[in-house]
Parts: sequence; C-alpha cells; structure tokens
Amino acid sequence: MTAVIEVAGLTKTFGSVTAVNDVSFTVEENKIYGLLGRNGAGKTTLMQLLTGQDFATSGSIEVFGQSPVENAKVLQRVSFIKESQRYPEDFKPKHVFKSAPWFFANWDQDFADRLIADFRLPVDRRIKKMSRGQVSAIGVIVGLASRAPLTFFDEPYLGLDAVARQIFYDRLLEDYANHPRTVILSTHLIDEVANLLEHVIVIDEGRIIIDEDADTLRGSATAVVGTSLAVDAFVGTREVLHRDGIGGLASVTVGGLSEKERADARAAGLELSPVSLQQLIIRKTNLSEKEFEVSA
Amino acid sequence: MTTLTDHAPATPLQRIVRVAKLHLANPWTTVVVPWMVVGIIFAANFAIWWIILSNLDPSEKVDAGEGLQWSGASMWIFVYMMVVAVQAISITFPFALGYGVTRRDYYLGSALAFVGLSAMYAAGLTILSVIEEATGGWGLGGRMFTAAYYGDGAWPERLFIYFVAFLFFFFVGAAVASVWVRWRANGLTVFFVVLGFILIGGAALLTFTASWYLVGNFFAGAGFLGSYAWSLVLTAIAAVTGFFILRRATPRA
Repeated sequence: MTAVIEVAGLTKTFGSVTAVNDVSFTVEENKIYGLLGRNGAGKTTLMQLLTGQDFATSGSIEVFGQSPVENAKVLQRVSFIKESQRYPEDFKPKHVFKSAPWFFANWDQDFADRLIADFRLPVDRRIKKMSRGQVSAIGVIVGLASRAPLTFFDEPYLGLDAVARQIFYDRLLEDYANHPRTVILSTHLIDEVANLLEHVIVIDEGRIIIDEDADTLRGSATAVVGTSLAVDAFVGTREVLHRDGIGGLASVTVGGLSEKERADARAAGLELSPVSLQQLIIRKTNLSEKEFEVSA
Repeated sequence: MTTLTDHAPATPLQRIVRVAKLHLANPWTTVVVPWMVVGIIFAANFAIWWIILSNLDPSEKVDAGEGLQWSGASMWIFVYMMVVAVQAISITFPFALGYGVTRRDYYLGSALAFVGLSAMYAAGLTILSVIEEATGGWGLGGRMFTAAYYGDGAWPERLFIYFVAFLFFFFVGAAVASVWVRWRANGLTVFFVVLGFILIGGAALLTFTASWYLVGNFFAGAGFLGSYAWSLVLTAIAAVTGFFILRRATPRA
C-alpha cells in the first residue's frame, strides 16, 4: 500500500486555542476515508493543513511525499471542496465549469454534464442568487468531475436535499470504482455515508480518537439487549460503551464479541444487535470526554 | 477500471497564465461593465456639451472649452479597477486555492491579469482620446479622454499616463486586499491608522520645516510625465508588499 498522506506530530494553535493537537496518521492510496467529528473538532483545520491552505504550528505533513505548502507539484493533484465555498463576484456555474478543466488534468466534461443534469443545476444563473443547495451542488460536481488523485470534501452538501445527497453518494461510489482515487470526506451525516467509507478517522477536540478500518470498527461493538439482570450478568467486567435502561430492561453497548460469547449471550436469552457507525462514534466520543474529565 | 493517469505537471508559466484566465473567465465585471459605463457616461456628457454649446454665444465658446478640459468623467474607471483588484484578491483567492493553486502562482497570475487589463484599458482610452482630438471634441468641443490630467502631449504620452495610472490602482487595490485576506478587519484598521500617521506626520514635518517647496521642486523637476513615471515606484512597492503579505495568508470562511 502506498501512503498518500503521512502526518506526524501535527499541531495547530490559534492563540490559546489548540485546533489540532499532536496528530499522527497515514492515508493510503485509493481509499475513501471518512473524517468525522463534532463541530469545532478540528476537521476543517486539519484539511486546511493537508492542502497547504494553513500553516502548521509544529509537526510534519507529507502529501505525495512532499510538504503541500506552496508546492505546485503536490497541489495540482489535489481538489478541496469546502462547505462554505465562495465564488468570484458575478460568477455563474458555467464560468466555474469552464475554468475548472484548466486546473484539473483529469477533468471529465461528459461526467460533469451528466452531474449537472442529475442535480438539475441551472448553469446560467448568478451564483449569488442561488439557493444554498444549488451552490453546494456546484462544489460537489467540481469535486467529482475533477477526478483529482486526492479529493477533499468538507461537508460538501449543506442545503442539499436527501435525493441530491443520494445522487452524490451513488455517483461518487460509481466513479470511484471506475477511476480509483483517494477521497477524504468530512461529514456529520455519519449513517448516510457509512457504507461508502473504507476507513474512518474520528477527531475530537483536536485529537484523533479513532483511526480504524471501517469494517473492523463496525465489528468492534455490539448492543446486548435483555432484562437488566441477565444483561448485567453477561456484561460482567467488560468495558461498557453505553447503557440504556427502561424499567427492568437494559441495552448495553460492549466491545466486539467472539462467536462463543455470542452463543453464550443467546443462550442467556439476550438479543444481540449491531451498532451503527454513528452510534458507535457517539459512544466513543462521549467516552473520550469522560476520560478528559477524569484526567483534567 | 482505469487508473487515473498522471499528467505531466504544468509548467510555471502555464500555471500563472491559467490564473490570469480565471480572472477573465467571466468578462462581465472586468471588461463588459466598465466599457458600458464609459459609454453611458460619455453619452450623458455628450448631451450636456450639446445643451451648453447650443445656449452659448460664439464669443463664450472658448471659455467653455477651457472649463471642459477639467472633466473628471473618466476618473471613476481607475477607482473601479481598484475595486476589481480588491475583489480579485479577497474573493477569488480562496476559490483558486481550492483548485490547488499556490499563493505564489495566484499572485503572479493575478498580476499578469492586472497588467493585461491595464494595457487593454490604456489602449482603449487612448484610441478614444485620439478620436476626441480628431473630431474637435466630438464636434462639440467636449473633453473627456483628453482632460487636463492626462497632459497636453501627443497620444503616446497619454497611453503611458493611462497605463501607469491603471497599474497604480490595480496594485494598490491588490496590496490593501492582501492585508484584508491576511489580517482581516484588524489588519485594515492598523494599516489605515499607520498610513494616516505617515501622511499627517509627513505633512507636519514639511510644514514645520517649511520644506513644502521641496515637494514642489520635486514635481517641477520630474515634469508632468516624470511625475506619473514616479508613481511606478509606489506601484512596485505595493506589488511586492502585496506578494509577501499574501504568501502567508490563509483563506477563511
């Protein structure tokens, strides 16, 4: 596996605020990564650092083997679509689609045209007069049709309706299958993208708390449901990620279970259900907050 | 399944030229609107010259012609270009960075667009000024493109004056916008306060040392055309300063 991004000990501070705190990770070529985390967790700052748009306080970043800062050789292979992308004064979408191919060597005009039709985007209207969703669609189209070897989407679909979001996921997956590349997708809508992601990086308060293969992560927790007594007996001293209870019933999220443990649980009359990626991340994020409180 | 092909990286010149093209991708703001406004202002002036001249005795016409040479009707276009430069740096900069453009290529490409636009507008205004001369002020003794501020020389002189004036406004706009992009409102406040101090301090120094004649001597020595040529020094300072300020700027939402 080839590493596209290698980050070591990366820190970014703004005055007294540490937005990214001593972060190290590797991004492998031709995979779809999810960069997940709460608002203000440091996702955008991290992506700004990876694309050379911001300057690190300390630590090292290598993209395609080199520092991305002011490095044309690296940056011509990078596309970064932001949530709140602004467009030049008086631009219409047609101006965006006319100029984008100058910058992206792999630009596919047919694909762009198809996406424009899919999103029903009016290309001859001033962007300033468009709805939030339509503006987001422009960014999504540029991000997909540019086929940059390294593509960042930072919450690209603000204001897009559910149908349009589904189109985005479908086209991304389809085009990615035909033209593999590295995609880093930052989002709040974890469940919607769960099936898309091959690798998950969760950032919380500037630190990476999960950096795991998506399948491994999905298998790393199970919800055990049954009467409180039976659940407690089964859980014993296992690490509990989350606990819900109503009356005499309890649902407890625990770490991954072996086949034998699953059989034992069923024998004890307990039900086992998978935990969604979103639930899992919420549980783990809460956990890290508790740990912070204890250590603080 | 086709793996993405790695294209030969663009040469530095290609990278700079495509940024310049980006500024002109939508010619509406940078080319169409300015010429349209020139046309409208010209039409309004033409009507006014006509009204004035049709109500004057022939004896008064020379006087009127003297007055018309102080027309400021073509001044706005220089200020407009400063606004174009401000928008180019403040709004197009974060956009271009998303396209994988480096700050260096962005600034040099923008500078290329500014020089190209300066040349285009200087040439256009010069052509209009030549017509204005040849037709005796559009048949009415009117002055818009040969106003006194552009000197009384032949057209190459005016071409030069127009060109350096455009460069000045473009690059001062770019430098001020770079301050904004890098340090936001606080930066602009500090910038204008410092600029105000320098100007007032300079004026005070000249007044208390009774040295204003030096300024007069400077411009007299440089001459009309030479004074315009000296603006290139300020333009160059603005251009270089803008480059180094933008080099460390970060696009923010």
